[in-house]
Amino acid sequence: MNPLPVTDADLNAYVDGQLAASRVAAVEEAFARDPAMAARVADAKRHNADLRDALDPWLADPIPERLLAAAARQPKATRKPVRRWLVPAAAVATGLAVGLGTGWYTRDIQLERAGTPTTFTRQAALTHALYAADVNRPVEVWAPEEKRLVAWLSKRLGFAVTAPDLNSSGFALVGGRLVAGHENPTALFMYENADKQRLSLQVRKQRVEGGEVAFRYAVENGVGVFYWIEDNCSYALSGNIDRAQLLAVGRSVYGQLAALESSSKQ
Amino acid sequence: MPAVADPPLPQPDLLAAIPRLRRYARVLTGDVNRADDLVQETLARAWEKRRLWAAGTDLRAWLFTIMHNVFVNQRALARREKLQLSLDDGGEGNEAWQIPVRAAQYTRVELIELMQHVGRLPTDQREVLLLAAVEELRYEEIATVLGIPIGTVMSRLSRAREKLRNAFADAPSGSASLKIVK
Repeated sequence: MNPLPVTDADLNAYVDGQLAASRVAAVEEAFARDPAMAARVADAKRHNADLRDALDPWLADPIPERLLAAAARQPKATRKPVRRWLVPAAAVATGLAVGLGTGWYTRDIQLERAGTPTTFTRQAALTHALYAADVNRPVEVWAPEEKRLVAWLSKRLGFAVTAPDLNSSGFALVGGRLVAGHENPTALFMYENADKQRLSLQVRKQRVEGGEVAFRYAVENGVGVFYWIEDNCSYALSGNIDRAQLLAVGRSVYGQLAALESSSKQ
Repeated sequence: MPAVADPPLPQPDLLAAIPRLRRYARVLTGDVNRADDLVQETLARAWEKRRLWAAGTDLRAWLFTIMHNVFVNQRALARREKLQLSLDDGGEGNEAWQIPVRAAQYTRVELIELMQHVGRLPTDQREVLLLAAVEELRYEEIATVLGIPIGTVMSRLSRAREKLRNAFADAPSGSASLKIVK
């Protein structure tokens, strides 16, 4: 019976001691037939051993105090920012349920379960403030190159993103950019109205334990942020405009994304 | 609504993982201080996200996963702050880099040379090599830690090993150009 040919994966697994016992004999037979292969594997094994020789002494280094403290850190039981923003969020959620009918979810999922949304809203607000204030270069790719922008961001985020059309709300697309997220890269689309007020929509992948999170509102450093999670993506719409206006735009964004979603499923 | 108390992370396992996290971070960043910053951020993130750790599973592999994500984000951020790269430049991890070498630590010149060659590997290949050869994680665990398919783990590992081998072939040991930090 001819054994399966020996692959690179076999050789790596052999070197790292991860090869199935049943394959070891076949691989060692191949070494006898192919001295070059045997030499390659011997080198790799020696490099493994040398790497451990070189790096194992580091394990004995004393651990700095700040890392011991970080390991011992019991997170505080209650976080004030969460409390602070639950109150307006609840009020808004109720209003949304009336205003948007079936479109919005008002599931009562505790905010903390969404993977620190306060971090996301704060980050979204800061990112918005940073780039919206940049007169000359608020975005990396400008609206005339929207197709390229969307393709690029989709590639970097690992899923298809789109820039919603907010012209009916008076906001035109300025362009977009990639920003560093909490854990995953974030796509940012910037919009502007005739009064030069700017809005940003930030989207990123976010795994959520326990499903979707209701539409929430927070004010971070004077920037209003609407925030929601759906289909493992989190969205934040930020701007220095009043809440009702931001809500109207948010409704438009949500509606367009829902329409896209349902059309892609058909 | 009262916050539900999450079970704490097991303290002994967490402490035991720190030296390994630091070592891996040092090879990733090439800088002791930046490495400790990375580990500190990883520990903070682990506490924040402890609900996502399935008790009973390997805490160390989970911590490596967090650290990888933090590292990737920090690097993306650093790149953005430093220079406006061209958009189409995937450019992952090809920056010049050196592992801090302390002469007294090495008994053999080959080890210094090896570390220099490892330092020149692209980051993504260096990560896979370190996790397989030094941390001795299973390939499936490495795929999870780095968030890549196992086939990619295998191909990066092959490329890393080929590069190391070629590097030694190109520069015979005992070459005079080695710089040793005292």
